[in-house]
Amino acid sequence: MRDEPYRWIEAIQDRRDYIEDQLRVGSPVVGLTYNEGMVLLTIGRGQRKIFEVHDRIALSAIGHPADIERLRMLVTDTASVQGFQNATEDVNLHRLTNFVLAHTFKQAFESIVGEAYIIKMLLAELGSASEQNRFTGINYDGNVRTDAAFSVIGGTEAIETRMQNYLATASEAADRGLAEALQLGLEAWAIGKELSSREPEDMESEDTEIDTQQMHEIISLAREDGEIEAGVLETTQSGTSKFRLLNTHEIETALS
Amino acid sequence: MSIKNTINHKGDFLSLLQHANYPLQIGLPSETQHHADIEIAHSTTVVAVRYRDGVMIAGDRRATAGTAVIYDRAEKVLQIDKHSVLAISGSPAIAYEIARMLEHSFQYFRRSQLQELSLEGKLRMLSRLIRDNLAMALQGIGGVIPIFALYDLEAPEAENGGKIFFYDALGAHFENVNFATTGSGSIWIRGVLRYLSRFGETPLPEMDERQATITILRLLDTASEYDAATSGYNARAQIFPTIKTVTRTGVETLSDENLTESYAEAQLDHSEAHN
Repeated sequence: MRDEPYRWIEAIQDRRDYIEDQLRVGSPVVGLTYNEGMVLLTIGRGQRKIFEVHDRIALSAIGHPADIERLRMLVTDTASVQGFQNATEDVNLHRLTNFVLAHTFKQAFESIVGEAYIIKMLLAELGSASEQNRFTGINYDGNVRTDAAFSVIGGTEAIETRMQNYLATASEAADRGLAEALQLGLEAWAIGKELSSREPEDMESEDTEIDTQQMHEIISLAREDGEIEAGVLETTQSGTSKFRLLNTHEIETALS
Repeated sequence: MSIKNTINHKGDFLSLLQHANYPLQIGLPSETQHHADIEIAHSTTVVAVRYRDGVMIAGDRRATAGTAVIYDRAEKVLQIDKHSVLAISGSPAIAYEIARMLEHSFQYFRRSQLQELSLEGKLRMLSRLIRDNLAMALQGIGGVIPIFALYDLEAPEAENGGKIFFYDALGAHFENVNFATTGSGSIWIRGVLRYLSRFGETPLPEMDERQATITILRLLDTASEYDAATSGYNARAQIFPTIKTVTRTGVETLSDENLTESYAEAQLDHSEAHN
């Protein structure tokens, strides 16, 4: 099939359509920085989506659970071995995403006879004295995108843009505490959730603006049969591991 | 490591390292096995006691090789995770590697399996590392005998969840209820510990942090009096023993200020003739 460029491109396009169709309904994940670190959050139904990768690195993903699990293990194993063979300070997100994950994603996506990964990943790395906080998103086709203050993964690119626009209008990250970051993150999540339930062609029109009240309705509806999942990388944590999942009590307190 | 040959290690860090071709056993060339009288730095005193809030675990700071003092700021009490500490006596090179391996193993289990390794699982992991090191121990150069102190978070709130375990060279672990000590200086204080635990005015498990600190400082002072490989408090250079506490809230290292005060209270600051 590779001797016929047109058919190859067509096959890739079919694959893209198929994967995007599968991803479109996925519950988005929002990543934000706040005054004491970084938070990744989503609302899910039992399937855990936010994970610890290494001392200062956390991972979240949408897509097929089996693919998420496989790629999560790949990145966790790689980071663990590197951290042991050298030093934990030598593990960094840029190397993990660009040298390990990106080409794995791309290779799987473009080998059109093999299986594709139905996945979008968002990783967060807590900065140190010399490094800034960093969010890195990886698309199923291996494209990598890096942001400093906030980042999202959602069903389609259009959904992500709308969520990001909302976050861009919010206050400076240095001024907000964890409670405010959770609130803001959930609002952005609500936008993504709402848009992913609409038909793609409805998304562009002006009257699709979602106001704050609608957002809160969407959030409380989602919380009826789902649960907020939030993981933080905290600068205030003692010890080298900075990741922890927030418990239900902490989330309730922050939102009340 | 590519995705094609990624295998599921089920949280076993040693298996993962093996797969990444990391040499797990430090093998020696066969001819060195007959010349095992090489002098390797070791000897020390480490001691752990259960006190009111959990476990207090301490070690002196001296590293020796034969009669030479190699280093007077060695750390022999190493935090492994939020609620466990390993105190080592024996060959430092192997001991540090075992401590590091242990720390990374617990983390890898948590990160890959999405739950903490159980207390029993942690003990077995350490057993396995010590047993794997048996060949070195038999050659007389790499033996490591640790004390492992943990806080069992599953213990009821009202109970003291502090636990002390000691190991033999083959990796069998034993829970020692109120105290444990190992290293060349331990023979001088084991009897004292037993005496304090059985007949002391305040039994060890009822002591508060300051009382336990004073007791430990006195024990280490006693060990250093009779064991050349154990250092006492070095006032001139301000070198204190390392003392850590393992409690429900986690592992803490006692600060130099705290130790200075405890020293004053323990009345160890005036020198006395050996008698």
